Amino acid sequence: MSTRGAVVLRTNIGRPVAFVRKIPWTAASSELREHFAQFGHVRKCTVPFDKETGFHKGMGWIHFSSEEELHNALQQENHIIDGVKLHVQPQKPKALQGDQTSDEEKDF
Amino acid sequence: MKYFSLRCLCHWVVRIWEQCISAGAGLMYRFLPCHGPTLIPFITNCVSFCRGLLSQARLHSIAAEKKNYLQEEPTSSHRRNASQFDWALMRLDNSVRRTGRIPKTLLQKVFDNTCHSGSPGGNQALLLLRSCGSLLPELKLSERTEFAHKIWDELQKLGTVYDVSHYNALLKVYLQNDHKFSPTDFLARMEKGNIQPNRVTYQRLIAAYCNMGDIEGASTILGFMKTKDLPVTEAVFSALVTGHARSGDMENAENILTVMKEAGIEPGPDTYLALLNAYAEKGDIDHVKQTLEKVEKSDLYLMDRDLLQIILSFSKAGYPQYVPEILEKITYERRYIPDTMNLILLLVTEKLEDTALQILLACPISRESSQNDFGSFFLRHCVTMNTPAEKLKDYCKKLKEAQLHTSPLQFTLQCALVAQKLDLAKVLMKALKEEGFPIRTHYFWPLLVGHQKEKNVQGIVEVLKGMHEIGVTPDQETYVNYVFPCFDSIKSVRAVLQENGCPHDDNVFSQAELRSKAVNGNLDYILSFLESNTLPFSFSSLRGSLILGFRRSMNINLWSKITELLYKDGRYCQEPPGPTEAVGYFLYNLIDSMSDSEVQAKEERLRQYFHQLKEMNVKIPENIYRGIRNLLDSYHVPELIKDVNILVEREKTDSRKPSSSDLESKLEKLKAENQPIGDILKQLIVMLCSEENMQKALELKAKYESDMVVGGYAALINLCCRHDNAEDALNLKREFDRLDSSAVLDTGKYVRLVKVLGKHGKLQDAINILKEMKEKDVPVKDATVLSFFHILNGAALRGETETVKQLHEAIVTLGLAKPSTALSSPLVTLYLEKDDLPAALESTIDCYEKYKILPRIHDVLCKLIEKGETELIQKAMDFVSQEQGEMTMLYDLFFAFLQTGNYKEAKKIIETPGIRARPTRLQWFCDRCIANNQVETLEKLVELTQKLFECDRDQLYYSLLKLYKVNDDWQKADAVWNKMQEENIIPREKTLRLLAEILRNNNQEVPFDVPELWYEEEKDCPTSLPSPVEVNLQIMSSHFLFSFIDAFNIFLTAKKQNIVFDNETYARLINLLLMKDNSTQAMQVKDFAETHIKGFTLNDAANSLLIITQVRRDYLKDALTTLKTALDLDQIPSRLAVTRLIQACALKGDTESIHDIQKLVNGLEDSIGLSRMVFINNIALAQIKNNNIDVAIESIENMLTSENQTVDPQYFGLAYLFRKVIEGQLEPALKKISIMAERLANQFAVYKPVTDLFLQLVDSGKVNDARALLQVMTHHMWSSEAPVMKSLLELIPELIDKEEAYTCLMKSYVFDNDVTSAKALYESLTAKNVKLNDLFLKRYAVLLKNAGESVPFTEPPESFEFYAKQLKESKETHL
Repeated sequence: MSTRGAVVLRTNIGRPVAFVRKIPWTAASSELREHFAQFGHVRKCTVPFDKETGFHKGMGWIHFSSEEELHNALQQENHIIDGVKLHVQPQKPKALQGDQTSDEEKDF
Repeated sequence: MKYFSLRCLCHWVVRIWEQCISAGAGLMYRFLPCHGPTLIPFITNCVSFCRGLLSQARLHSIAAEKKNYLQEEPTSSHRRNASQFDWALMRLDNSVRRTGRIPKTLLQKVFDNTCHSGSPGGNQALLLLRSCGSLLPELKLSERTEFAHKIWDELQKLGTVYDVSHYNALLKVYLQNDHKFSPTDFLARMEKGNIQPNRVTYQRLIAAYCNMGDIEGASTILGFMKTKDLPVTEAVFSALVTGHARSGDMENAENILTVMKEAGIEPGPDTYLALLNAYAEKGDIDHVKQTLEKVEKSDLYLMDRDLLQIILSFSKAGYPQYVPEILEKITYERRYIPDTMNLILLLVTEKLEDTALQILLACPISRESSQNDFGSFFLRHCVTMNTPAEKLKDYCKKLKEAQLHTSPLQFTLQCALVAQKLDLAKVLMKALKEEGFPIRTHYFWPLLVGHQKEKNVQGIVEVLKGMHEIGVTPDQETYVNYVFPCFDSIKSVRAVLQENGCPHDDNVFSQAELRSKAVNGNLDYILSFLESNTLPFSFSSLRGSLILGFRRSMNINLWSKITELLYKDGRYCQEPPGPTEAVGYFLYNLIDSMSDSEVQAKEERLRQYFHQLKEMNVKIPENIYRGIRNLLDSYHVPELIKDVNILVEREKTDSRKPSSSDLESKLEKLKAENQPIGDILKQLIVMLCSEENMQKALELKAKYESDMVVGGYAALINLCCRHDNAEDALNLKREFDRLDSSAVLDTGKYVRLVKVLGKHGKLQDAINILKEMKEKDVPVKDATVLSFFHILNGAALRGETETVKQLHEAIVTLGLAKPSTALSSPLVTLYLEKDDLPAALESTIDCYEKYKILPRIHDVLCKLIEKGETELIQKAMDFVSQEQGEMTMLYDLFFAFLQTGNYKEAKKIIETPGIRARPTRLQWFCDRCIANNQVETLEKLVELTQKLFECDRDQLYYSLLKLYKVNDDWQKADAVWNKMQEENIIPREKTLRLLAEILRNNNQEVPFDVPELWYEEEKDCPTSLPSPVEVNLQIMSSHFLFSFIDAFNIFLTAKKQNIVFDNETYARLINLLLMKDNSTQAMQVKDFAETHIKGFTLNDAANSLLIITQVRRDYLKDALTTLKTALDLDQIPSRLAVTRLIQACALKGDTESIHDIQKLVNGLEDSIGLSRMVFINNIALAQIKNNNIDVAIESIENMLTSENQTVDPQYFGLAYLFRKVIEGQLEPALKKISIMAERLANQFAVYKPVTDLFLQLVDSGKVNDARALLQVMTHHMWSSEAPVMKSLLELIPELIDKEEAYTCLMKSYVFDNDVTSAKALYESLTAKNVKLNDLFLKRYAVLLKNAGESVPFTEPPESFEFYAKQLKESKETHL
C-alpha cells in the first residue's frame, strides 16, 4: 500500500517547458529563443510552421534546462516580441509532435 | 444490532437507499437515470462538442416548435426546412448583427449547405437572395448581382418555387447594387412565371426607373398603381425625388416635398435623405447644409447611417472634399460602428480608398488601449482590392501616426503574404526595413507555399530573387521545406537556380540538400557526402534531420558508420565541447525523439547500434549517459541501459583525480608548513564521503575542526544521514550552524536529516529542521513532498505514532506541503498496521474534518469487513454518506466488498436501484487491480457492473485486457473478445488494438481487422462557428474524445425531437458506426436519413464498409443487396469489400451468389482491382463445400488446359483454394486436388498449381504431405534421390517465387532438425550469389545455434514473426 501514494505524487514531476501562445507571425523560433535566453539556458525552442500556409500557428514551446529558469520566465509579467504580448504558461511534458520547425540545431 | 452478518448489512444499506429514493425528489434528480426533456446530466457527461451539438439540437427543436404553432400540419419535411432555415438565418443574422455585413465565404457556405439539403424552402431562398445586396460590401456591385442570379437559378433548378416575395427581393438587390435592367422585361418575366406584381413590386420598379432618371417610366408604373387603386407611399415620393434629381431637375425634386404634403403625406427622413443624396451627387454642399439644418429644426432625426449615405454619395460623385463636413455631424454611436466599417469597405471596393481612410481616421476609437488595433479590416480589404502599394504604405504610416494601429505595415504584409502578392510584399518589406524592422526568412515561406502547391518553378524563382533583392538569404529550412518539394530532384533545383541567376550560398544549399536526404532516410547519400565533403560544418546542424533519417532507415551499419565518421572526423565535431558531447547528445536526442513503443520495437537494433559504436571506440560523457538511462527507464526498456553504459567515457574521471591518501599527505604537508588547509580539507572530506568512509571522515573533522568549512560539513552531514547516524548528523548540523547560521543546505540534505532524526526519536530536532526549511525558504518540489511521504510512511510502518502525527502536523502547518490524501495516509496506516480499526477509522474521519480528505478509507473498510466490525462499518458509512453523499458511500462499500472477496454482497450493492456509473471511481479501482495484479477481483468488477447504468463497458474490458496483457494471458483475452460480442459492446479502436497485440504476441491469429487510425480525415476540416458542418466534425471527432456512442446518442436525441441534420452528417455518422462494426445502428441511421432526406445515399466508401460489416455479421443477402445498390449508383466498391463478400459466399457453398456477383461486377474488375482468380478460387471452393469436388476440379483443369486460356497459367494462383481446403481439413477434396495438381504438372507441364499446393502444405506444417507430393512428382519425372525440394526448384523453371520456396525448404529442414542439408542449401545458395532473406537467415541461424554450431553471419535480430510478416508485406507490394 505504501507505494500507492508515491505513484500519485510522482506523476506531477515534469520537464521545464514553457508553452507560448499568441506569438506574432513576424517572430519565429530564433526570436523566441533570443527573448527567453534572459531567463536561463534555452535547451530547445520550437515554433511549428504549417506547411500548407507557410505561417506558424502562433504557438511554441521553450525547453529550459531547469525548473528555476522556467520559473523565472513565468514570473515575468510581460513578454513582448515585436511589440506583441505573448501568453506564457507552463507546459505539461510530452506535447511536441508532428511537423515542426525547430532551431534546436543551434543547441550545444 | 451489534453483530450483523454482512448480508444483513447489505440489506440495511439497500433499504436505506430505497427509503432515500422514495423520500426525496432531490435525490431522484441526482441519481436516477435521466430521460425526458432535461438534458443537463447528459451534457455533464460530454465535453464541449456534445454541448455544442446539443445546444444546436435544442435551438432546432425550439425553432421547430415555434413553427408548429404556425403550420397546421407539421410534416417532417416542413420541420426539416424549418430547422435548416433557422440555422441559416442564425448564421447570417449573427454575422449582420456583429459586423453589419456578411462575408462572401459565409454566404457561399450557407448557400452550398442549402443546396445540399435537398429541396430548399422558399424562406431559405428569400434569405439568401436578400443577402446579396448591401450586406456584401466587400464585393463589387456587379459581382453581388451575379451572386444573386446564381442563387436564383440554382435554387430554381432544385425545385424551389418562387413567389412575389422572391421577385421583390431580387428587385431590392438590383436597387442596392445599382444594377441596370429593364423594368418591363422584369414584369414580363413575372407574368411568364404567373406571378402577380404587388405594391412593393411597383414601388421598386418606380425606384428603378428613378435611379436611371427616367421619370416617364416611373410615371407609367405610377399610372398602373393608380388603376389598381394601390396607395402611393412615402417610398414612391422619395424615389421620385431621386428621379427628378437624376434627370437634372432639382427644382422639381424639391417640389416633390410640397406635392407630398398636399397629398397628405409628411416627408420623413427617407425623403429628406433622398434629397440630401441628390444634392450630394451634384456636389452642392450648400444645399446639403441647408437641408440638414432644416431637418435639425424639424422634429425629424437623421441617423449616422443616413449621414454615411450622404458621404457615400459625395464620394462616388467625386466630391471627397465635402466629406469632412458631414463627418463632423456623425455621432459615432456604438451601434453604427458596423455601418461605418461597411462604408469604409464599400469605398475601398469602389476604389475610393482615400475617402475610406478619412472616415477610418475620424472614428473615435479609444486610442489608449494599444492592444486592440483598429483598421486591420481596412488594410486587408485594400490588399484584396489591389490598392497600389505606395498608397498602402502611406495608409500604414497614417494609421500608426494616429495611434489606431500599432503595427500596420506588419499586418498589411501578412495580408499580402496570405494573398500571395509578391510585388506588394516586396514594397512593404522594404518599407519595414527602412523602419529598422528586421526582415526574416520565414516571411517568404507563405509566398513559396503557393507556388509549391502548383509546382510553379518560375514562381519559386521569382520569390528567391525577391529574397535576394530584399537582402535575405534563404536558409536550409527554406530550401528543405519550401523549395525542394517543388522539384523532382535537388540536382534540378541547383540547375534552375543557376540558369535563372538566383544567387545562393553553396554551403547552405548543400547542407540543405544533405538534410533533405537525411529526412528521407537516404543514409547512403549522407555517408558518402560526409566522406567527400570538404567544408567543415557543425554536426549539430544536421542533428534533427539525421535523427529522422535514422528512424526511417533500418540499416544499423549505416547508423554506426555515420556516427563514427561524425565522431572521429575533424571536419564535424571540431568546436568545443567536442565529439564526445556532440555524439552523446545525438544519441540522447535520437532516443528522446522516439516514442516508447518505437524504442521497444527497435530494442534489438539499438542494441546492435550501441555495440557497434563501442567497437568503433565511440564514447559519450557520463552525464549524458544518465539522461539516456532515465529516458530508457521511462520508456520501460531498462534492458538497453547496460548497452549504453558501455559507451561511457570513464578514463577521464579516473585518471585525473588524486587518491584520498595523496590528498591526506598533501594536507599534512601543508599543515606542517603552517599553510592554509581549508580547501584541501574540504576536498578530502568530500572524497572520503564519496568513498563512504564515515569513520575516517569524522576523525579528520575532529582533527582539523578549526579548518572546517561549510561545504565539508554539508557533505559530512549527508554522509552521516546515509549511514543512519543521527547523533553525529545532529552534532554536525549544530556545528554547521555555529559556523554560519545563515548557510543553507540543499533540500535533499534537509529531508534526509528529518528522516534520520525522526527515525531515532529526535522528534523536536526533526521539527526544528522543518521549521528551518520554512524560515530559510528551502525550495520544496514534488520530489520533496514525495520524500516527506516516505518519511511519514516509514514511521507509520514502524508504528511510531508520535513521529507520524507530529511531523505530519509540522509539515502541514508550516505549509511545506498540502495535506493531500497521499501525504496524510500514514496517519491511518499507523493504526491499520496495528490492527487498531476503531482508531484507524477515527483517524480517517479526523482527516476529513481537518482537511476534507478521506485517506485510505478503502483499506479501512476492507479491514472492517474482514473483521466483521458491523458497527464500525455503519459508522463509516453514515459518515461518508453524510459528508460525500450516498452514491460515494455505495461505491466505497462496493469496492471494499469486491476487494475482500465478498462478491455476493458487492453484487447487491451495485444492483441498488438508481445507482449509476462513476467512471473515475471505476477507473480508480481498475487501475488498482492492474497495479496489484488482482485478476479475479477485476474480472468480478467487470462481471458485476454489466447492468450498471451508463457504464462504459468497453473501458472496463480495456482495463481487463491491460491486466491480461501484463500476465500475457491470451486465452482470457480471447474470451473477452467473445464476451464483448455477447454483451453487444462495440469495442473502441484502442481496445481492439490491445487485444490484437496480446494475440499476436502469443502467435495467435487476430480474428478481426485491426483498425487503422483515421486521423488523416480530421486534418482537412476547417473550424469556425458552430454549424451543421461543424456538427459533422463534432460527430466525427467524437470517436477520439469519447465514443461513437455519444455521437449515436446525439442522433437519437435529435431523432426524438425530429431534428434533421444534413446529408453529410449522416454519412459520417454511418461511416463512424461502420468503422466500429456496428451495422445495426448504422442501418438505423441510414433508414432514418433515407426517409427524411430525399435522395439520401451512402457514398462509395460507406457502402464498401457496410458490405464488410454485413459480411462480418453474416448478413450475406443484405451485403449482396448493398453491393447491387452501390453498383446501381455507379459507385466502385472497394476490392476488399467485394473479395470479402465472395469469400464469405464461398465458405457458405453459395456458388450462385458468386456467379451473381461476377455478373454484377462484370467489366469493373479492373477498376475494383479484382483478379479473375478470386472468382475461380472461390467458385471452386463453394463447389467443394457443396461436395461437388469433381465439378470444381474439372472446371479448373479445363481452364488450364483449354486452347483459349483466360488466365496465363503462370498466374493461375490457387493458393487461396488450397489453403482453405487444408484449413478446413477437407481431406477428400485435398486428395483429389493433389492428384489434379500432379496431373497438370505431369501431363500438361503446368507447374504453378503443384508449386502452390506444395508451398501451402509446407506453410501449414504438413511437411510430410508436402514431401509425399514431391516424391510422387520426382518419382514421375526424375528417378534421382536428390533432396526432394531441391529437385522441385530445379524442375519448375516457372516458379515465380523461388525465394519463398527456399525459405520453405529451410523451414522443412528446421522441422527435421537437418543441419547438414541446411548447410548444403546455404552454401549452394551463397555460391550462386542468391540473395537470402532475413527469415531464411534467421531460421538457419537458430538451427545452427540449437545444434551448438557457430553462425557465420550476423543473426537477424528480430523475431521469426517479424520477418515472416516483412516477407509477406514485400510480396504483397510487388503484386
